[in-house]
Amino acid sequence: MQNRIEDLRSRVDEVDRELIRILNERARIVQEIVTIKAEAGKPLFDPRREEEILQKVAQENEGPIYNTSMREIFELILHRIRDLEVQREEFR
Amino acid sequence: MSISEKSSAPGVKTNVSTRNGMIRPGSFRVIAGPCTVESYEQFAASAKAVKQAGYEYVRGGAFKPRTSPYSFQGLGEEGLKIMSEVSGELGIKGVTEVMDASEIELVMEHAQVIQIGARNMANFSLLKRIGAAIAGTDHGVILKRGFSATVEEWLLAAEYITKEGSENVVLCERGIRTFETATRFTLDLSAVIVAKRLTDLPVIVDPSHAAGRRDLVIPLSKASVAAEADGLIVESHHDPQEALCDAEQALPVEALLGLREALQPFASAMGREVL
Repeated sequence: MQNRIEDLRSRVDEVDRELIRILNERARIVQEIVTIKAEAGKPLFDPRREEEILQKVAQENEGPIYNTSMREIFELILHRIRDLEVQREEFR
Repeated sequence: MSISEKSSAPGVKTNVSTRNGMIRPGSFRVIAGPCTVESYEQFAASAKAVKQAGYEYVRGGAFKPRTSPYSFQGLGEEGLKIMSEVSGELGIKGVTEVMDASEIELVMEHAQVIQIGARNMANFSLLKRIGAAIAGTDHGVILKRGFSATVEEWLLAAEYITKEGSENVVLCERGIRTFETATRFTLDLSAVIVAKRLTDLPVIVDPSHAAGRRDLVIPLSKASVAAEADGLIVESHHDPQEALCDAEQALPVEALLGLREALQPFASAMGREVL
């Protein structure tokens, strides 16, 4: 049993590493968007776009995570990446 | 125009404005006046002090959201008439709260700026109705932050109004509930900065309701200028001892007259002029 758990845990670790890599990739893409928005004089707060993303998340979700939970997870991702952007020089 | 469609410039945002001139680039707007319109004599005396101090906007409640239904509830329509008569005579603009959609039209007839109180920040049907009523007019809205609302919730509440088309919406930080009892609420100045970094809406501060005591009003006003706020709404009364509500937080006339001098060094450092 112990071997089986260790095996599964190492797969979880592998997925986590991948999640970290992908989240940072997402943040870098957002940074590019924000740079363009800053040049165009557009504010960061964009609830319309945010809702669009969250609806897509629910559509793409096949479970077993509930749509509402997935939405919460993504809200956190969106807001934490946005917080990172608020602190950038262009918006000070 | 929604918030997200408005333009912004990089750097500390001293360049935000409303279309009706209430908030102007490079300025710091002060709105003052009593908690409530109590009588013609009381409001006229308090409004005269506001004008004498050089301010262009006078506040005063006609419909009051009191914690107890047995407290003085305001003069209603009579209070609005007093406000429009006095502000008209003095050539200044009136700011007053709307608590219910049925009051919108009447308030717009007598005042130039509608205040939405902290208790109504999440009353979305009221926000939509006010947004629709003021769209395309010079009437402004001051949206107070609910005392248990996050910045995100506050900005989304503002979006309910701006999406109807108004360009005269101003956010107002008025303190949030915390464990602290030395002050009535805790003034959350970091929320002012965060809101300004996320949107292009002007943000003003109500130090009077936050503190609930007048000795903190001027220091918190100075701090608000430094925290990038675009203005203040403060309570003042010609005779605080006799005020029917919020007496302990109202600035007496001498203090109101000294406010501009107290603020100007801080405003100058931020590249603003006190209006």
